[in-house]
Amino acid sequence: MKKISLALAITCLVGVFTVARAQTPAQPPPADAAAATAGQAPPAASSIDDQLKALSGPSAEERAKGDPAGTATGTVNDIPVADAKKGLTLGDVVSLVGQHQIAINFTWTLLTGFLVMFMQAGFAIVETGLARAKNANHTMMMNFMVYGVGMAAYWLIGFAIQEGGVGAVANLGGTAPLSSEYSISLFGKSWGLFGQNGIMLGGTSYDVGVMVMFLFQMVFMDTALTIVTGTAAERWRYSSFIISSFFMGAFTYPLFANWAWGGGWLATLGSNFGLGHGYADFAGSGVVHSIGGVTALAMAIIIGPRIGKFDRNGKPNTIPGHDITLVLLGCFILAFGWFGFNPGSTLGASANGNLRISSVAVNTMLAGMSASFSGMYYMWIRYGKPDASMTGNAFLAGLVAITAPSGFVNPLASVIIGLVAGVLVCLSCEFVERVMKLDDVVGAISVHGANGLWGVIAVGLFADGKSNFGGAWNGVPGSVTGLFYGDAGQLVAQLIGVATLVGFVFTFSFVLNMVLEAVWGHRVTAKVELEGLDIPEMGALGYPEFVLKPEPAAMKAAG
Amino acid sequence: MAIGGLLVTLAGFLIAALSVGIASATSVRLIIVLVGIVVSLGGIIGLINPAYQKNALWKR
Repeated sequence: MKKISLALAITCLVGVFTVARAQTPAQPPPADAAAATAGQAPPAASSIDDQLKALSGPSAEERAKGDPAGTATGTVNDIPVADAKKGLTLGDVVSLVGQHQIAINFTWTLLTGFLVMFMQAGFAIVETGLARAKNANHTMMMNFMVYGVGMAAYWLIGFAIQEGGVGAVANLGGTAPLSSEYSISLFGKSWGLFGQNGIMLGGTSYDVGVMVMFLFQMVFMDTALTIVTGTAAERWRYSSFIISSFFMGAFTYPLFANWAWGGGWLATLGSNFGLGHGYADFAGSGVVHSIGGVTALAMAIIIGPRIGKFDRNGKPNTIPGHDITLVLLGCFILAFGWFGFNPGSTLGASANGNLRISSVAVNTMLAGMSASFSGMYYMWIRYGKPDASMTGNAFLAGLVAITAPSGFVNPLASVIIGLVAGVLVCLSCEFVERVMKLDDVVGAISVHGANGLWGVIAVGLFADGKSNFGGAWNGVPGSVTGLFYGDAGQLVAQLIGVATLVGFVFTFSFVLNMVLEAVWGHRVTAKVELEGLDIPEMGALGYPEFVLKPEPAAMKAAG
Repeated sequence: MAIGGLLVTLAGFLIAALSVGIASATSVRLIIVLVGIVVSLGGIIGLINPAYQKNALWKR
């Protein structure tokens, strides 16, 4: 009996000792032992897995007591295990790290995309505020439905054209299905022209990473479309707006966006022809705002001015908007949304240099601020008053201009870019109205067109080579660097982008809308225009309880 | 004149885009691209817009 008891006691002691060793975290070896082990192979995965299996979080009884401090929530117990029989392994932990990185990037891109979507509200009230009250319903409806019209066109075909061949986007886990780009060979190099995968998000493009890409790119596309409604407001037939916007969302925008962002020929100017890092447009001064601006220019030429905008000698008359409070509130909403527009263009907040989102956000703020000052003071000095609508437009111009360079420049450059933008928008408005004799209700040609092009050029001047988005940009190692920091080739690439926007995109938009003018017609009748578009086009007034101011006699005579 | 203006505008784009094959030196490419931009702007401001301004609403 004594022998059995002794054997049992020894067995128990051995068992307890074994379990105690398994549960005790491995202690680091003493320094001299560490030196002795230096250069030796790392511990085998199986021993690491054994250590991982020994880890444990709070027990069920402890969790049942509640966790007011949050210290017992989110522990080793929450790590998903691939094989319950094997238990927690190193592979499980590493897989979770990878998923977390992609999840952070997904969340960031989606949330910033939601902010950009909200910019539609800002554009809507800026434009409606700058239009007359008799057109409020019509103007607001154009901005409301451009969201749906653009999304439909983009979902049907636009996204495929733009992103169908973009290839793997590392931040979003690969987007491998988007790998079919139609290219031609010229000068011995491949020139990507348009994508061929992703129509209606079907087939292999039914992919979580592709979905993130679609949402984010779609809200950018819609920003370009809505710009045109501001220029052509107060005389654009609602049906013509729908058709024109559809084609812009299906073809005009996606084509240039593919060339710049979808792996097309503009982006590869660096890797193919040694021009810097190719056309670099961080968040879309060119892709979004300039496309909107040059299309607005085409529309302004085709549709003609509002009745009464110019007198018989071509002298412009001011037609004030009906609500300046809406305009400035809209500008703030746009500025808020721009925190999604620019920082979100990293497509992630984890790894690959994405912590630069802080710099991008601050650059955005600074450019808007400095532009509002330079625009306000220009108007104050030139015309004697700090004009509210032009100050708001100057603010927007600064935000437009910083959009392309925001990821590549420093804060001082951002302020300078904004200062130039604020004055440029005022000069451009004067040129468009007094020299070209075009009627732009909201100044979109100058805010988005002229300053979008300025933003594209600013990359080629001010990019300082300090950014590092994964060690390369457009397939060229290193950081985007402009002329002032030693790379003239980057400026040339940017100017080729400018030439493409002015020479190709304008022509493409003009032809599309010229054909639409011939087969359908853009403009309402003079009677409808003088009455206001709300009742004839939309069937209801925007402000049914208000008494609208009658048109001046001279304006009626001109119609 | 409008159609001619469109062709001139497009030509400016082609001049700029093809600069990468015409020349290899960055400075020469820069000059060619600037010429292309000026040609395109000339087409828009000097040809297309005046063509439409001939029958402008305020002139009728």
